[in-house]
Amino acid sequence: MITPQPRLRAMLSLSITAVFIGGLIASQWLLTDSVQRMQFGARLAPPSLEHWLGTDALGRELWARTLAGLALSFWVGCLAALLSTLIALSLAALATLSARLDALVSLLIDTLLSVPHLILLMLIAFALGGGTQAVIIAVAVTHWPSLARVLRAELWQLRQAPYVHISRALGKSRWFVLHGHLLPHLLPHCLVGALLLFPHAILHEAALTFLGFGLSPSQPAIGVLLAEAMRYLNGGYWWLGVFPGLGLLLMVLMFERLSSQLRRAL
Amino acid sequence: MTKATRPILLGIALSCLAAISTAQAKDQLILAIGGEPEQGFDPLLGWGQYGNPLFQSTLLSRGQDFTPQPELATKWSLSEDRLTWTLTLRGDARFADGTPVTADDVAYTFNTAAKAGGRADLSALAEATAIDEQTVTLRLHAPRITFIDQLLTLGIVPHAERENGYSEQYGRHPLGSGPYQLVEWQEGEQLIVERNPYFYGPTPDFERLVFLFTGEDATLSAAHAGQVDIAAIPPALAANVTTSMQRVIMESVDNRGILFPMQPDNGEHAASEAPIGNDVTADPAIRQAINLAVDRDTLVEVALHGFGRPAFGPADGLPWSSDEERIDAPDLAQAKGLLDAAGWELHDDGLRYKEGLPARFRLTYPSSDTTRQLLAEVSAEMVRPLGIEMQPTGRHWDDIQRHALHQDAILFGFGSHSPQEVYYLFHSQHAGNGYYNSGFYTNSAVDTHLDAAQAAPSSEKANRHWQAAQWDGTTGYGLRGDASWAWLVNLEHVYFADTCLDVGELGVAPHGHGWPITANLLEWRWVCD
Repeated sequence: MITPQPRLRAMLSLSITAVFIGGLIASQWLLTDSVQRMQFGARLAPPSLEHWLGTDALGRELWARTLAGLALSFWVGCLAALLSTLIALSLAALATLSARLDALVSLLIDTLLSVPHLILLMLIAFALGGGTQAVIIAVAVTHWPSLARVLRAELWQLRQAPYVHISRALGKSRWFVLHGHLLPHLLPHCLVGALLLFPHAILHEAALTFLGFGLSPSQPAIGVLLAEAMRYLNGGYWWLGVFPGLGLLLMVLMFERLSSQLRRAL
Repeated sequence: MTKATRPILLGIALSCLAAISTAQAKDQLILAIGGEPEQGFDPLLGWGQYGNPLFQSTLLSRGQDFTPQPELATKWSLSEDRLTWTLTLRGDARFADGTPVTADDVAYTFNTAAKAGGRADLSALAEATAIDEQTVTLRLHAPRITFIDQLLTLGIVPHAERENGYSEQYGRHPLGSGPYQLVEWQEGEQLIVERNPYFYGPTPDFERLVFLFTGEDATLSAAHAGQVDIAAIPPALAANVTTSMQRVIMESVDNRGILFPMQPDNGEHAASEAPIGNDVTADPAIRQAINLAVDRDTLVEVALHGFGRPAFGPADGLPWSSDEERIDAPDLAQAKGLLDAAGWELHDDGLRYKEGLPARFRLTYPSSDTTRQLLAEVSAEMVRPLGIEMQPTGRHWDDIQRHALHQDAILFGFGSHSPQEVYYLFHSQHAGNGYYNSGFYTNSAVDTHLDAAQAAPSSEKANRHWQAAQWDGTTGYGLRGDASWAWLVNLEHVYFADTCLDVGELGVAPHGHGWPITANLLEWRWVCD
């Protein structure tokens, strides 16, 4: 059996994910508010030809709510992962400037890694008063340490490279070396790191919202849909939890796969 | 305690309690009815503001027909000038430490509560004086028709100068002469109480009560698992009852409605630094249009699953509220006409604008409350065809107080057995005072009617003034006047109770889904072996 090339597999994963995300974003542009309108005569309707994934307690189409939830999770995950990567990169770069700063950054990384993720997330989100911004900030400031550790190690290795030594010997500034020689090498690591962070970010966003510390219950986030589903499970309304849950799982697996393929390819 | 850890702790607690309750089913009840008071069980700071404070006794109690009944006081009278109440105390009342309740304790309670700044409004009280061991007088600055409510709701605490007397820590360690005494309170988790052996009334059937403070989801799960004996259930989730539980419905005057910020946004801030004012809701046409557009019958059906009735005012069906204050059916055409006349033009995006200002504002509700969430979302959907966008936004209470209280429309709930609440809600004197008149409603004509009601010589005459404050033919706080609220629904309180628990004849509950069901606790019986 012929194993496809890593780059080919990565391209395949990238294409599938791009189509999925493109479709998700397009759906939010194309679909009007009307698909999420309440239909008081069709509350908690099970999946059928008329209501593809069923309806919720206010008669809103679950497929539309799930799509909106996934789109919201995507944006929150994107921003949180991006912010997290920037923090990781900045601190890793800072660590290369001096031994003291390196010790400080290492201490910060170790401290954050020793605190349970979810507890810290809840504390930060609660302190910031909840809402989309609070979730993004909370997820971003709790997810950077692992990536920062990788980037810092990579930077230390790069600093020993001959061309870096030559550059310094020629009198180039630290900033020039960092900006001109070191950071370009880190971009692939950052890309993979951000992609690896993304599934974590959206899962934690959903968890935070599910626990009541995240987005407003009136926003169609996946965590909100799952929390609502919990309340109605006793009544046998299984579709309220199954479809949003599957949607989230699909998106997380897709990005997980993409990031692992990219890591191999790069 | 975070919401996340509560279910885990609840699980552990329930496992232990379920084991105990199997052996002592008749002696112990487990209640998950919510309502944990933030400031503790201190009547001077607001505990028991609607009566039946559990640990303490009140001077009088409310009968099923709302008439005053003897409690700590066996006789009471009001002087001819309506300035002095004289009350005679019963001789057998004792605090849970065995010491007698005296007129000194009553005088101390009233004098201290007047200064404490809690929810008990004793601004009319000049002085409470103990005449002898069993007689106390309460002298007022001016006649006040609702003063009797303080006799019905304020729990009596022991004088600070006696052993085990009142102190700053009283709310955590309450000592009173009510039917139960506190054994343990783990804040955010549970409260354990036991019979007060010195209680003067009939001995309660249950030796021990355990109150679990859980969120809606955990409470519902516990009720379905049969791990609690009685649980407060949001109406929307009350459709499915397990076989071991029965659905108990309690009538109430508990209502839900939308309070509108009445002032325009002038950049002012309250003492709490929360911003004041909202340019959209300050326009009466917006408020009146919303009132006309909301279909209250559908709200009851969709958001309450039928467990309630439409609301048009803060005290529907009570003598101090006018029966004429109602809207028979939603009228979108009239609502649109009002908005057109007021200069709110409908644009292509489906939203109305007035001088560039979009008809859009947040409708904030506490995110932990499913009922209010549903009411907010359905109401927003109902006014959307008008071109008004109400944005339902769930927030924590702390966040509401810090940011939203005076600038967002808030989905509030009130409901009292006393017209005093109407005074708090609509008198300009209470503008910005806590949750009551947080929209800064002011209308001098309404103030005049409310003050006249307080000074009236009889309830009947007072009721005419209370009703005139709602609408006097020219103005008022109600639907036909300033439409300062869009009252939506009156709730029925729904509980899941064990089929073996007989809760007797329930009265009419005030605001607060939970504690009010304990009002007739002494009648509760366990009917199984």
